[in-house]
Amino acid sequence: MGENKSNVPVRDLTIKQGFKLSKFLVSWEMVLVYILLLINVVLIVAKPNLYFSNGTIQSIIQSGMDVCPLVLGMILILMLGDIDVSAASTMIFASMVTGLCCDTGMPVIIAVLAGILAGALCGAFNGFFVAYVEMPAVIVTIATQMLFRGIVKIILDVNVLKNFPSFYVSIAWMNFLGIPVALLVFLVMAAGFVFLLQKSKFGRSLYIIGNNPTCAQYSGINVKKTKLTVFIIMGAMAGVASIFFVGRMGGSVSSTMGTGYEMTAIAICVLGGVSTNGGKGKVYGPVIATLIMAFLTYTLGLLEVDANSRKIVTGFILIIAVLIPSINRQLLANLKLKFIYKGNKNVEALNIKTAAEVKALKTEIDDVKKDGKLSAADKDAKVKKAEEKIASLQKKCKEQTQIWLKEQAEDEKRAKERFNKK
Amino acid sequence: METKNKSFISKMTESRNFGLILGLIVLLIMAKILTPSLYSFNSIVSMLQNNAVFGLLAIGEMMIILTGGIDISIGSTLSLTGVVCCRLMAENPNVPAIVWVLLALLIGAVCGAFNGLIVGYFKMVPMIATLGTMYIFRGFSFLFSGGQWWFPHQFTEGYQAFATLRILKIPAILWIVLIVFILAALFLGYTSKGRRIYAIGTNKESSKIAGIKEARVVFLAMLICGMLAGLAGMLYTANYATCSYSIGESYEMTAIAICILGGVSINGGRGKVDGVFIGFIMMSFITYFISLLPGLSVWSDAIQGAIIIAAVVLNIFTERSAAKRALKERGALI
Repeated sequence: MGENKSNVPVRDLTIKQGFKLSKFLVSWEMVLVYILLLINVVLIVAKPNLYFSNGTIQSIIQSGMDVCPLVLGMILILMLGDIDVSAASTMIFASMVTGLCCDTGMPVIIAVLAGILAGALCGAFNGFFVAYVEMPAVIVTIATQMLFRGIVKIILDVNVLKNFPSFYVSIAWMNFLGIPVALLVFLVMAAGFVFLLQKSKFGRSLYIIGNNPTCAQYSGINVKKTKLTVFIIMGAMAGVASIFFVGRMGGSVSSTMGTGYEMTAIAICVLGGVSTNGGKGKVYGPVIATLIMAFLTYTLGLLEVDANSRKIVTGFILIIAVLIPSINRQLLANLKLKFIYKGNKNVEALNIKTAAEVKALKTEIDDVKKDGKLSAADKDAKVKKAEEKIASLQKKCKEQTQIWLKEQAEDEKRAKERFNKK
Repeated sequence: METKNKSFISKMTESRNFGLILGLIVLLIMAKILTPSLYSFNSIVSMLQNNAVFGLLAIGEMMIILTGGIDISIGSTLSLTGVVCCRLMAENPNVPAIVWVLLALLIGAVCGAFNGLIVGYFKMVPMIATLGTMYIFRGFSFLFSGGQWWFPHQFTEGYQAFATLRILKIPAILWIVLIVFILAALFLGYTSKGRRIYAIGTNKESSKIAGIKEARVVFLAMLICGMLAGLAGMLYTANYATCSYSIGESYEMTAIAICILGGVSINGGRGKVDGVFIGFIMMSFITYFISLLPGLSVWSDAIQGAIIIAAVVLNIFTERSAAKRALKERGALI
């Protein structure tokens, strides 16, 4: 930046908005932290003995970690405005490949890599149809969800694969210095994704594509290639998820396992503030949301809510988390326009204008009151003048509003009469 | 215009239904070779009867896909209505069966209205919204059933009559499906509300300018879809005379497959009821084969997935070639 010595004024691109504590405390990530704390408080109140006993928190965190790689992959997919419901099937497919490789006695490292590669291939299959054939991601992944699981069903039938590398189970169940290994791995992967999304050229182009694909195309981003890459990453992450999942299941896999994991992953992403329309979201939110989901499921389980009813909770979380961001100022203004101003935009404009003027006058009054130079009499006079002005403004606004609304009502009445005559 | 001078045969071959019927004939010949016993009136009727609910689901799904959305909660809606109807029917055996039909329509309408509210009015992405409601409805279905099963001896005769009663040798359930298909064709083709569904799917911007309220139309489509899914839930339990909360899992996928097979464009705005009808019959044959041939039952998921992908690819290419042809014709006129 400093090397730019031309006379042309350079636009100042540094971020002017510094760190504000008040804004930070109400940001979505912090709200998620509050929710997490709230769930913990509920758990402490409900089962104090269990909560403070050794290893409970670790096991809660471990219970939620089997879905975490899917969450990270899903962030990228949702960022494009697409969706992948085949993630769970891809995960099972990858675990099957690893299991079969282990059965034939291949070295562990090759078997694991083969699983991840199989996941990436599944992702590439999805990505090819989404990016190059231009099919909607919804329909492609719905079909491949059945296709991948169908292939697993054909190959495995009713058999169970039990031959898996031993470190699978230790990742899912062991602690390192009192911290679950799965959590450590998850945080390392999440850090990688933070770097990918926030700092790399690839990650920034995802935001542009999510916001406006046409615009991204015109600005020189290869949208098709990027989409394909994202789906391949998702597939590879599903392959990684198979490590966590198989470990969590105690080192065995059958064709009917892991249904509904894609839904949990999507719910976590959405709860973490990733927009389903694309182009909005960060990695921190989903990371916290993963923990929230783990604690929530565990708490509900402890409170003796059965698995199927927990699905209701997950479903509602998904819907509410999507609906919350749509409650914003614009929505409130629209509702006010519809119900208080009866759809009359003149009235709305007048009221907003008056409110702004009244606010300005009130700040003026405050300024006058604080002003030390003026005498008490002067102050009173000025305050009185301003207050009178406020009163007259409000009265005027009210009268005008009444007149306009009356006119509108009469117009409507007349229109109705005319319509009825015909 | 050149297009008007085309002969009847060339028009026929260009339409998608022609290809579908050809495919159907191939399937029938395959059936003749593989399973000769299929060619009796009764076996065909029973095959269609067992797949009848997919016809209802496909019609509902079609309306939503026409608006450019998707609904994957209909399988759960089917399960919820089935469970509620069965439980109440088993507890009150003396109530006439028509009450359960109305109840099923009502429950389906409530489910559909909830979907319509969040998709139409709150502008949620249809896939995400119905993914959520899919689990919500399934959860409520489980809660209401309490994990219980219902068996044939608990079903009243009036309730089962929808499957057993035969009018002109065809079971009542198939008549209902046929009537729904005809009503849907009339609704989508000849009423202003039906045409609005097409308009929304074709171009949201221009239909908004033309004064169509998108939220209302989407709500209506979701409502109808929910009602049909509810009716399907009641008829499903009547047909099989068994019920549990796990019925209808992944039925939405079959419904979507039927729609796509029948030429409904996944981007919305294109697709006809007659195409869906042929798709429905084709799908019935395919599922029948899969269930009939030994060792093929594990293939069903993979085959269905492959069919969806192949059909969408076919749809996209026919659409593109049609667009290209239209462009050429326009060029020739200029």
